Amino acid sequence: MDIYKELTQGQGYAVIEIEDMILLNELKKSFIKNINISNNLKNDMDFARKKIAKMSKSEVNQCMIDLSKFNNLSETIINSCPKLVESLCGKELFIQRRATIVMNVPGEGQAKQWPHYELMSGISPFSFIIWTPLHDLEENSGVYYFDQKQSLEIMKKEQKIGIVNGPLVLDMMSERKPEKLNFGQAVVFNPFVLHGNIAFDSEFARIACTARFQSSDKPLLQKNSDYLKFYKLN
Amino acid sequence: MTIATITTDINIGPFKIPANGQNMITNNYAQRNNLVVELAIPEPLKSNTLATVQWLHKERKLSKIIMCSIHQLPVKNNELEELIKNMENVEFHFALEGISGKGKAYLIETAKEAKIFMKSQSIESSRTTWIDLHKTMQNS
Repeated sequence: MDIYKELTQGQGYAVIEIEDMILLNELKKSFIKNINISNNLKNDMDFARKKIAKMSKSEVNQCMIDLSKFNNLSETIINSCPKLVESLCGKELFIQRRATIVMNVPGEGQAKQWPHYELMSGISPFSFIIWTPLHDLEENSGVYYFDQKQSLEIMKKEQKIGIVNGPLVLDMMSERKPEKLNFGQAVVFNPFVLHGNIAFDSEFARIACTARFQSSDKPLLQKNSDYLKFYKLN
Repeated sequence: MTIATITTDINIGPFKIPANGQNMITNNYAQRNNLVVELAIPEPLKSNTLATVQWLHKERKLSKIIMCSIHQLPVKNNELEELIKNMENVEFHFALEGISGKGKAYLIETAKEAKIFMKSQSIESSRTTWIDLHKTMQNS
């Protein structure tokens, strides 16, 4: 099954290999530089992750605000997988205006992401999401996914009672095993696939980046120029 | 040199933002970017020529203006050209998109992007369901 069919008709998500590792490595270096917490002696990802793991929630939040200055992140993620993106959406795209770097701190009581569909934010049903860690993932520190069939069954049950992301979804939080990815791998998924993450135990924080994209020929839903920008693949 | 915020008609491209909402958005943007606003300019409803802004610029010499969105730029080419002619040296900030810049090329590119968005089809979310949206995706 080709990737487009796998994402739209199959399980709704797929693990892929990043095509341009030079770009991903540059992105990682820029992250370390932008986050500004490494020193010259230990200017590496693990050092930064260890520091972040010890930060308070407000410090992590401030760091993430500082990282919003990273204004070419979206293009970098998209350009790291140009063949994949073109095969899914063509060359003329709407891409997330400000892609995000997500930092998850280990330990119970830290931010967990309850199961949710990306569509809930108002992105188009024709969007795809790419999620890639900036280092090898440790056990349970990744994202878990429900396949499209399961996600759809839950969606139908919720629709019947007029709810989206109700108790049925929220109670499923710790039932899943996160995908174990290495640096250089990514998960691509459609906006109807339920996914989330659980608390994990480690001395390192998890750093990942994510970008949403769609063909500019396909209809938008609620997100417009506030969230997306026009982008042409080379 | 003055920094001004602009409010326009409630209908801003795909968005519907009342003037007080526009003021909240532009003032919050100013605060986050350490910009001190000295003037709030209301444009009349049903007009996107930004004529009031251009008229006031002659007197107040605006240095920066903050608007909610790129969709508040004039749509008609002659009106955009007039704006560029009069305000080429003013820095334009668009709060929702979080972008800024100045000059002819910047304004032309930004207005072009707004047109691309306006030409795109949009699904009316209030008239559909999650299941229908899923079917739409699978049938495309």
